[in-house]
Amino acid sequence: MTGYAVEVNEVHKRFGTVHALEGLTLKAHRGEIYGLLGPNGAGKSTLIRTIVGLLAPDSGSVTVLGHAMPDKNILARVGYMTQASALYDELTVFQNVAFFAGLMGCRDRDAIDAAIAFVDLAQRRDSRVATLSGGMRQRVSLASVMAHQPDVILLDEPTVGVDPQLRVQFWAHFRAMTERGITLIVSSHVMDEAERCDRLGFVRSGQLIAEGTAAALREQAGCDTVEEAFLVFAEQRGVSNNEH
Amino acid sequence: MSTNRTLILARRVVQQMMADRRTLALIVVVPVILLSFLGILIRAEPGKLVVGIVNDDQGVTLVGRAVNLGDRLAEVLGGFEEFEAEVMTASEADRRLQDGSADAVIMVGPDFTTQVTQTRHLALRVTFEGSNPMISDRLRTIFERVALQAANNFVLVASSPTASDLPELTATIDARYIHSGPEYDTLDYMAPALIGFLVFFFVFLLTCVSFLRERLAGTLERLQATPIRAHEIILGYMGGFLLFGLIQGAITLLFTVFVLDIHYAGNLLNIFVVEVLLVAVSVNLGIFLSTFAQNEFQVLQFVPLVVVSQGLLGGVIWQIEDMPRWLQPLSKLMPLTYANQALRDVMIKGESLLDVAGPLGAILLFAALVIMLSSRTAGRATI
Repeated sequence: MTGYAVEVNEVHKRFGTVHALEGLTLKAHRGEIYGLLGPNGAGKSTLIRTIVGLLAPDSGSVTVLGHAMPDKNILARVGYMTQASALYDELTVFQNVAFFAGLMGCRDRDAIDAAIAFVDLAQRRDSRVATLSGGMRQRVSLASVMAHQPDVILLDEPTVGVDPQLRVQFWAHFRAMTERGITLIVSSHVMDEAERCDRLGFVRSGQLIAEGTAAALREQAGCDTVEEAFLVFAEQRGVSNNEH
Repeated sequence: MSTNRTLILARRVVQQMMADRRTLALIVVVPVILLSFLGILIRAEPGKLVVGIVNDDQGVTLVGRAVNLGDRLAEVLGGFEEFEAEVMTASEADRRLQDGSADAVIMVGPDFTTQVTQTRHLALRVTFEGSNPMISDRLRTIFERVALQAANNFVLVASSPTASDLPELTATIDARYIHSGPEYDTLDYMAPALIGFLVFFFVFLLTCVSFLRERLAGTLERLQATPIRAHEIILGYMGGFLLFGLIQGAITLLFTVFVLDIHYAGNLLNIFVVEVLLVAVSVNLGIFLSTFAQNEFQVLQFVPLVVVSQGLLGGVIWQIEDMPRWLQPLSKLMPLTYANQALRDVMIKGESLLDVAGPLGAILLFAALVIMLSSRTAGRATI
């Protein structure tokens, strides 16, 4: 048992000729929000899907809460929120959350109601998901990955298509979760969300090109914003790549 | 109304269709395949029926001539193209009616001619195998003609050329049935197969669409990121749809039995056992084939391929024995063929589950095969 919630070691993953992950290494501490930043197609989703065990790495290893992945049993302590809110439209908010919580081994109605209240949807508890707005659906999705009180939650672009007001709310939720000791790994291509993470990993072309707190990364790159810092690191990588 | 806008929309529809090559191919290929099957089935020569004659007739001597009506009957029966007449012993007739290799047997007793002479009435004793009421009906009509013909023949033979005042003989069929009875009709023959067909059709369609949606909505990927195993997903789907399959089966059964008034001989509960197995096959086939569909529209394309083809070749309407020989192996590859056989044997012949163990085993085999295929599908989120 290590102190890390998630460890990714030298993971390679290839789809045909596309090298999605190229020896990526990353370690997320318990109780922190780890932000995965990078452009579309950088390999963020592949990385998250590999951590959850949906994809088996070609080489390298992934460890979640001290267990080598893929491991179906440890998934009960993990929550995974996909890019698009994957829910059953015909079912109500409660039925959706209860379904996913149930599969994780949580049949406690109070815990399910608490998760729904946590994302401010208590009023719509018995509404069919099909009648909800996009932002509400995202919140149902969030409730459905946290009702079983996992130790690690992986969120793949949770704030895509979410309006600014709701985005602020989401980050408040995320922060509140870490206070319960939950580790969050959040991927995003919106650089201004970076400041809200405890630590950041810059992902580009299937590699982790830099890692650290937002402030440290900015300082290291000598920039004012995270966005500029990303470009500096990406540039360095590009140059060093050309050298050999 | 703008022609321009209309044309733009029409062009878009054409563009969309052109992009979906599979649909295009199906529009052309499927009607041709289905029409060929239909053509073959409708034009196929029905298989030869077998009619046995047990002829113990001793005959009589009339006006100095030996007359044996039983022999005459056998002769007349031999001249029909619809069936093959075989002279057989009583015990052989019994056996062949039981194992279904004879469709009907005409029993001619030792005093057949004597009785006809005395009563001036020809009662033809026929035992029908009966499991296909359509065949029994067809034969019965022929036998009525034969009896009448034989009776009239007898009048000619037995009367003196001068006597013209002889009354005509009457003829009746004295029928017994091994399975079913004279009250059974075509619907009684079709209903067991239709009950199986409908359950198979709807459960297949529902599972295929549900599983496709599960994949398209991304919920399948989420399922796979939970501790649930592929076989648990499949069993869960089977359990859920089994409920509706059985409700549907119960409603169609009750409707056909009490409203359409069909006859049945067997234990109705046995029908549900067959249906449970059939649901297992259709759920898993639905899950497996959903892999090959990108949208609901493409699921519909499976209907002519998977459902209609089984409806045509699985013995729902046309008997498999009547199909051309080269087509019959195709029927043997279809689960509905065995379900129809089992359901008919249970409903018409009143057989027990043990009696239909053969077809049940075949359905189980299909179930095992599709479960193997579908568990591979359920384990993968993407195609």
